[in-house]
Amino acid sequence: MRVGYVKTSCVMTAKELGRNRFALVLLVVIPMLFFTLVSLTTSEHPVAFRLASVSEDTIVQVSARNESLLFIGVAAVGLLSSFLALNLIQRNAAVNRRLILCGFRSSELILAKLSVLLLAVLVISLYVGLLLLVFFRPEHFVNVVLGFVLAGFVHLCYGLLVGTTVKRELEGILLIVLLVNIDAGWLQNPVYYAEAQNKLLIRWLPAYFPSQASIVSAFTDHSIFSSFIGSVAYGALLLIAALLIYWWRMRVVRPR
Amino acid sequence: MRQGELVGVVGENGTGKSTLLKILVGLLEPTTGQVELRGSFGYCPQEMVIFESLTVRENFRYFAAAYGLDRTEPSTSYEDAKNDLLRRFHFHEYEDRLVSELSGGTKQKLNVSLALLHSPDVLILDEPYSGFDWETYLHFWEYADELRSRGTSILIVTHFVIDRSKFDRLFALADGVFRCA
Repeated sequence: MRVGYVKTSCVMTAKELGRNRFALVLLVVIPMLFFTLVSLTTSEHPVAFRLASVSEDTIVQVSARNESLLFIGVAAVGLLSSFLALNLIQRNAAVNRRLILCGFRSSELILAKLSVLLLAVLVISLYVGLLLLVFFRPEHFVNVVLGFVLAGFVHLCYGLLVGTTVKRELEGILLIVLLVNIDAGWLQNPVYYAEAQNKLLIRWLPAYFPSQASIVSAFTDHSIFSSFIGSVAYGALLLIAALLIYWWRMRVVRPR
Repeated sequence: MRQGELVGVVGENGTGKSTLLKILVGLLEPTTGQVELRGSFGYCPQEMVIFESLTVRENFRYFAAAYGLDRTEPSTSYEDAKNDLLRRFHFHEYEDRLVSELSGGTKQKLNVSLALLHSPDVLILDEPYSGFDWETYLHFWEYADELRSRGTSILIVTHFVIDRSKFDRLFALADGVFRCA
């Protein structure tokens, strides 16, 4: 791994991302839109649910609006992170392969993309966290933001995996929207989860650990350590799969 | 190919000219046989394979980094090579413009220049002058002659009949067979 090569690629990748106006507009508008819609359509009515990662005996009772706001925050970060990762890995795939032909290594290019994406996830999470404060104040704000970061990390790894696996953008977007919508946008909602028939299936989905981290931090004093470890491990597995596929697809045969 | 030789490849659409070049540079794996290469090579694909959301300068910088030019001494050598290409192909005024804002011809100038930046020993060019205006086309051949005199071997896929007299050897690809034309 050559640091100078990674550094150059980081700078160029950041420039590419920064000049993608459509993506930047989405980053600003989507969380605002999600929060506004939830705020307008939910009530302050109390809802009670059990938190899967804490204990079956612990029942949390919070306002439906606050619970939904937090839940939609995780979905927003997840959606944006996976979309950005997909966009960055699929766009310019041919030019990146030309760069590899000219001397870059695929590991250097993907490391640069990952670094820039992680930075973007931090910014998105902080932005969504600050927006959340407009509507309500969670118990442990820093840990809630950490939960958002974990959601971003897991979903960016998922976005990279989708981007390296499917060739066309439309298929990629469909796979991302489907998963985020069903997983982060529906099944991980603790109100739904509490009554779900097959909880094991929901626990294996990407948004489970990050959602738990955010919800536990927002409404209880319990530790989020297990959710943290679960998120990192889940993201790492997706990332390894994405790296292997990227390496395979970008490989070149060096003439003798 | 011999040193300083200019070789042309012709053939109808879909006969596999671009595939052949992709095998030569390593983008595709040959089903049989092997490619042997002494020295460095520069490759310009038929399609526009450049970063649209970066400027011309940034594209040069990115590819210079790939070739390792920005880390060689003297550090001015890459800048000199870049400025020389910008001047030769007359697109220096677009250096700080985003590629997405450029015309097709100017993009092609950049596409070709990126293959020339590191002064390779062998140049492999897939229809390099499609989209060039007449003046740039003539400049391209002037530059090709200069490179040959310096010992660079050049392989070009072409459709232009008028180019045929320029090549030392010309091959035609038809039905999967490579013949001396």
